[in-house]
Amino acid sequence: MRKALGLALVVATVVAIAAVVGAASAAPAKKQDTSISGAGSSFVFPLVSKWIPALGSAYGYNVSYSPIGSGGGIAAVTARTVDFGASDAPLSADQMAACKGCVQVPWALSATSTPYNLPGLNCVVRLTGPILADIYLGNTTKWNDASITKINPKCNMPDTKITPVYRSDNSGTSYNFTDYLSAVSGTWKSKYGPGVNQQWPTGVGAKGSSGVAGVISKTQGAIGYVDVAYAKANKLRFASIKNASGKFATPGLRGIKAAAATLPKKITGDGSLSIVNPKKGNPLAYPISTFTYVIVPTSSSKSAELRKMVYWAVTRGQTYGPPLLFQPLPLNVQAFAFRQIKQING
Amino acid sequence: MSAVEIIDPYDITAKSNNLGRRRRIQQLVSVVALLSALFAVLILALVLGTVLYKGLSQLSLDFLTKSSALFGEKGGIADALVGSAIIVAMSTLIAVPIAILVAIYIAEYAGPKAASFFRVMLDVLNGVPAIIVGIFIYGILVVGHGQSAIYGALALSILMIPMVARATQEVLELVPRHLREASLALGVPRWRTVYSIVLPTAIGGILTGVVIAVARVAGETAPLLFTSSIVTTQGVSVDVHQALATLPVRIFTLSESPSPDDQSAAWAAALILIAFVLVMNILAKYFAGRKRKSLEGI
Amino acid sequence: MSTLTPDPAAPVAIERRGIRLGDLLFKGVAGVAALGVTAVLGFLTYKIFALAWPAMQKYGLSFIWTEAWNPNTNVYGALTFIYGTIVTSFIALLLATPLSIAIALFLTELAPRRLASPIATMVELLAAIPSVVLGLWGILVFGPWIANHLEPWLQSWFGFLPIFSGDPSQAGLLPAALVLTIMIIPITSAICRELFSRVPHDLTDGSLALGSTRWEAIRRVALPYAAPGISAAVLLGLGRAFGEAIAVTQVIGSGNAINRSLFPPGDTLASRIASTYQGASNNIEVQSLLYLGAILLVVSLITNVSAQAIVNRFQKARRMSTG
Repeated sequence: MRKALGLALVVATVVAIAAVVGAASAAPAKKQDTSISGAGSSFVFPLVSKWIPALGSAYGYNVSYSPIGSGGGIAAVTARTVDFGASDAPLSADQMAACKGCVQVPWALSATSTPYNLPGLNCVVRLTGPILADIYLGNTTKWNDASITKINPKCNMPDTKITPVYRSDNSGTSYNFTDYLSAVSGTWKSKYGPGVNQQWPTGVGAKGSSGVAGVISKTQGAIGYVDVAYAKANKLRFASIKNASGKFATPGLRGIKAAAATLPKKITGDGSLSIVNPKKGNPLAYPISTFTYVIVPTSSSKSAELRKMVYWAVTRGQTYGPPLLFQPLPLNVQAFAFRQIKQING
Repeated sequence: MSAVEIIDPYDITAKSNNLGRRRRIQQLVSVVALLSALFAVLILALVLGTVLYKGLSQLSLDFLTKSSALFGEKGGIADALVGSAIIVAMSTLIAVPIAILVAIYIAEYAGPKAASFFRVMLDVLNGVPAIIVGIFIYGILVVGHGQSAIYGALALSILMIPMVARATQEVLELVPRHLREASLALGVPRWRTVYSIVLPTAIGGILTGVVIAVARVAGETAPLLFTSSIVTTQGVSVDVHQALATLPVRIFTLSESPSPDDQSAAWAAALILIAFVLVMNILAKYFAGRKRKSLEGI
Repeated sequence: MSTLTPDPAAPVAIERRGIRLGDLLFKGVAGVAALGVTAVLGFLTYKIFALAWPAMQKYGLSFIWTEAWNPNTNVYGALTFIYGTIVTSFIALLLATPLSIAIALFLTELAPRRLASPIATMVELLAAIPSVVLGLWGILVFGPWIANHLEPWLQSWFGFLPIFSGDPSQAGLLPAALVLTIMIIPITSAICRELFSRVPHDLTDGSLALGSTRWEAIRRVALPYAAPGISAAVLLGLGRAFGEAIAVTQVIGSGNAINRSLFPPGDTLASRIASTYQGASNNIEVQSLLYLGAILLVVSLITNVSAQAIVNRFQKARRMSTG
């Protein structure tokens, strides 16, 4: 009896080991289509989700994408854990150097909305940049604060506490939002500045765009910053923000397009394009708009596929954008993107 | 007659004059103890009940056979189920033989000082937080090579080894000495004695330890966050050289999402994980029964 | 004739050599395994410190009492997280220890036999719930209940205490501490149960024979007898609470500042590592996170080794007294 049990155990172990080894060696061989892996910005995840099946049918590429946040994407592509990274925050000089031969290509354009949770309110809340800065600095704590009620005469602002929600992970959306706050608030600029993360003085932190949207939807009186596609998908109401021309703009396609139109005709440099708080004279512009970038190693085993993929993304891929509130790239940015793509020649 | 009755403390037949009060304290303590136990049961019922209630409705064949979805779509957990199964199986295969060997060394071969030393080492290893183990494997393996299911299994096996080794060592020490002595007296070599006589006697206890360790490790999230979280293939994959989707990491990601679909998916995935853990615990109880029987018969 | 009589020395000698070889091999392999596991423990400790070393060099020991975590300006300090770890773990301990002792007493002394076994199983099952599931329940059920019912209630009765001041929040130190309590109870009560069941019956019986109530027997005899073991159990529970990353990070809100109140978000060592490690954008941030990890490792090792030392001294004293 014991001998049989022992024999069975040995046989089972051998079979299990064989199965594991077989799976381990078999799987890499079964690549019919090319696999391309990416990670990073959760901001661009809604659009990339539409691209993945389209790339599959166009070129047979099996693209996978993990929305772990811009910081994670930069870290992953620098470590070559994935084939491309995605970030809403442009690479700093240090990060570009650490990436050892990467190029960043702007491949989508959208906006960061400021959704809030005030159930039963019958109007859309209007806010300004300085008010947002005060909220995140902890100076403005109630929704019926004088500064808010002044610009919302038609709204019956409740006496609810404001809970600002921020990204706890290193986020390109945080970069975009704090880039804007730095532009409109001297206090924010001197104390915190733009960045993928901060030592946020107050509020609740959550991971990922979905985490922030989650906390907002569960907390009455909360306000946060999330890319507008997430806010729409989760049926969150977002505020209209006063731009430098004095108009209250919403993060729709028109507002985003107007913001992007402020860029010069010929774009040079490494591609970090900041379009927050466009100056006076652009009445439709939504002030917290942003480009988002794909970061690709210039030489890798998949250079050819990556070139095709990014080229497709900045041309055909842009047509998938509008329903998700991604405005197609303006021509000058697209031309710049083409020049950047040429550097992917592995 | 003095106002205060003086009781001779050595007279045990005298009636104590605060017996009523002491009895009432006794009853109070009993009630408090009962309530405490019921409180623990209540929490268990709340958690399991919520998982069951919210998760059951979401369970469907679709859910169990589809993989993680893209933005805005409903998906399933098939890839996470397969990934978890593979990683847990691999870590068990790695950890159990090593743990049994360590336990054999401590129980059969080591001198008292060495045995005590290794026992302390095992307990200390047991107390290392799972996240530190994850960072360790990340630092020595993932950096430069990328994530993979194999690294995840290695991290989990480091967590399993002290659990299985301790349980095995305790059971081996329970095997009566006269069994070993009789075998050695018959001329059976030491190693054969351990292999053919002591181990099979202890098998019930060993399996209990293994099954409990598997149940623990199946739910571990932190080590997998560092070794197998950036999944690079869509759909179910068995490529152990890449990161695989796992149930705990999937639950973790879904738990922070605002969409009700994702939240229901999280509950359903949690239900499956808990069901697996419960089955393992029942299995452990069965093996513990067998262990008791086999050791009692000697 | 000599060819027919077997040489008594030869086959036995060969057998002995074979036995020795087999034993040597087996002992060797087992010994290597034991040494290997020890080596892994040593290597792990070394590696964590080695990876954190650049940050340790840069910030020195002042890292431990610096209240800052700014990835933008690359100023890092551990104080917020040490505070969060200590506060959440000690509150969990404060709540869980009496509960665990009470549960252990119930199961060993005060419960009828039929009730004890199923309830014991259920308390064990509480330990089996994976921390990510407890965290899920914390985010979606427990946290909202705390924010909508528990914290307002605490504030209305005890609001004069600074720890219950401020606005109720779903995510914060209090939900984290309560989740940790739920996680510690099964561990501590299981060990206490073991301890109480090992108290020699003649000791408690003697007390009862002298006329004490059951509770008095427990209080005066069993508890003092088990006290060292209970303190070891408490230390082990504390170690578990220190190291819990996942369930805590799900309900604690990733706060950056030290607050007097328990309501607002905060963070612990393990939880901060879990939430930010993957996306750490530059080397010094990664190394600072590893510095947090090194602190966590040291704290965990100290609590575990202390628990071990108490158990060992306890066992030695017991062995010496019972001869």
